[in-house]
Amino acid sequence: MSASFPGTRERAVLHFNVADFAVAVERVADSSLSRRPLLVAPLGAARAVVYDMSEEAYGEGVRKGMPLRRATRLCPRAALLPPRPELYARAMRSFFRELQGYSPLIEAGRVDGHFFVDVTGTHRLHGPAVDIGWRVRRRTRAALGIDPIWTLGSGKVVAKVASRLVKPVGEYIVAPGEEEDFLAPLPVTLLPGLATRERQLLEAYSLTTVGALARLSTQQLLVAFGPRCHYLHAVSRGIDDEPLRPAGKGPETLSFQHLFADDSNDRDEVRTRLFALADEAGAVLRGRQLVCRRLTLRLGYADGSEASRQALCRTGAAGDLHLRQLAVEALERAWTRRTRLRACTLLCDRLQPRSPQLPLFPECAAGPLRAQRLQGAIDTLRQRYRQGLVGIGRQGLAGGG
Amino acid sequence: MPSSTASGCEPAAPARVEVRRGAAEGRPAALCPVLVGTCGYSYSEWIDGGFYPPGTKSAAMLGLYGRSFSVVELNYTWYQMARAESLARMVAAAPPHLRFAAKLTRTMTHERDERWQQQLALYRQGIAPLGERLVAVLVQLPPEFERSVANRTYLAALLDGLEGLPTAVEFRHRSWAVDPVFAELSRRRVTLVTVDAPALPGLFPPLDVVTNPDLFYARFHGRNLEGWRSGNMQKKFNYDYSAEELDAWCAAHMPALSAAASGIIVFNNHVRAQAPRNGAQMALCLARRWGAGR
Repeated sequence: MSASFPGTRERAVLHFNVADFAVAVERVADSSLSRRPLLVAPLGAARAVVYDMSEEAYGEGVRKGMPLRRATRLCPRAALLPPRPELYARAMRSFFRELQGYSPLIEAGRVDGHFFVDVTGTHRLHGPAVDIGWRVRRRTRAALGIDPIWTLGSGKVVAKVASRLVKPVGEYIVAPGEEEDFLAPLPVTLLPGLATRERQLLEAYSLTTVGALARLSTQQLLVAFGPRCHYLHAVSRGIDDEPLRPAGKGPETLSFQHLFADDSNDRDEVRTRLFALADEAGAVLRGRQLVCRRLTLRLGYADGSEASRQALCRTGAAGDLHLRQLAVEALERAWTRRTRLRACTLLCDRLQPRSPQLPLFPECAAGPLRAQRLQGAIDTLRQRYRQGLVGIGRQGLAGGG
Repeated sequence: MPSSTASGCEPAAPARVEVRRGAAEGRPAALCPVLVGTCGYSYSEWIDGGFYPPGTKSAAMLGLYGRSFSVVELNYTWYQMARAESLARMVAAAPPHLRFAAKLTRTMTHERDERWQQQLALYRQGIAPLGERLVAVLVQLPPEFERSVANRTYLAALLDGLEGLPTAVEFRHRSWAVDPVFAELSRRRVTLVTVDAPALPGLFPPLDVVTNPDLFYARFHGRNLEGWRSGNMQKKFNYDYSAEELDAWCAAHMPALSAAASGIIVFNNHVRAQAPRNGAQMALCLARRWGAGR
């Protein structure tokens, strides 16, 4: 009996993807919806946009992020439902439980029906990876009523591209060693992780297929794409060693999001919502005796594009004022367009425990200590009564104060 | 002689045995080439099991497999539709003596729907690169596929659609083990697959009825009684045939085997590389007892 060295084993990564996840879940909740086109969008908002749509509505020209008024004109027969993120999150958890039996290495998407499962080395327990893919699909169809695409590749990139090929239903197996041949004839736009600017550059250079991109050296790619040349060079050849990031296994990130009911580019409104998010983050951090050393602001524009910028604090931040200051710093750098915003998300990471060390010379740290005491008093009041009771200037207390 | 691992020196057509036709009855000698192989070849488990050398990459497996066997049953075509470009690359890289059997995609057997005819057209296009090296299309029907009017109609239409391709049918439901079925398969020159599986009630019995004088096809699934209905492949196909069991099988089925012009014997007990080990044993057993050189 011979043994393989774990590091030399070819990877087997399964990708499961439920197309139009919100629609699929809504149709499981109410089977009568499966007989007509369906649009999921916030109702009652003047400039509501499509959150998700069924394949039939897609066929009529409806797209995610499209203004709802236009979508209903294009597909007047469609049933209209408001998004229910909690329901979708519950469906994600159920799907996740189905996968847990096959591997501890599962990377989940953002409540969108995407999962990567690394089944490398599990054959002795569960058999060949292709059989796992097929069994999971069969099981989720029977138990949850949803029909995921499943694909198999040696990494996330190949598995994801294969998913995009077979959408909305089907399966695709890319055997190890076949990656480059599989990718070569495909449109380069199928590669995941390309920024808008990179797509424009690829088009400008007439690099329409992945094979055309793969023929260029890193030096040639460096001229046009800068440091991204290494990524593009590798993925165009199907080389992808990026490990899966299982939820809860990597460094923790706290996430706080606000979705604007109506898209907005009102500076005061955006800052007010951002401050509320910073305060919410501060309450969580202080409650867990943590500080964050990096704050990321992700802005989602009404046209579907995103921008994100970071602000760093080497000593760590947990106070509302400090977090607001960092958030504004990130906002100034991230918000460079006049297009309306649909969502803003605040991510706090590089978390560490708050130091219990007191200052050696308190008289020199009078200001910070006073701010800390004030913050403590505010937290006490909020805990005793409610979060919105006491605020800091410019916040605009929700529901009166 | 067949080698027991993929890394050994290879004969021109390993695990191919020229069995004397009519050997059992003592009729005048004619030769029936019997190709022995396995169901699938790309198992990382076979590296641990010692069939492939340590560190073997998937892309190198078919070449190594060809050093030990002359036929392989492609089972991934059951999981996904056969794709011509992928099969063309595989055939180009395969040793020239290697022959292929291809399993029919599950969308026409286990999970069929009203679009099965389009699926069949795609399948025929997909396996086209196998060309003359295709020895059989294997239609494996699920256990719940019983002999009803609807299923008979479907199977007839499916076999019509496969016209022109060498076809073999494996039933799992015992209701098909009746003479009219054998007669119809004979009329169509479609091979009835001889199955070796655990002796469980309801399963199709291990018959050796020859319905196609051109091809005999046997599949060895293992005889793991406990694992068969466990729902876990690793238990279901975990079985190691003993030399005595293989010898007894040969003795019992030789009349049927030698009644056809050619034969395929494949092992599906892939767990822990038992399939290639048993395949090599089977080829030795055939050569020793019935081979032309004996």
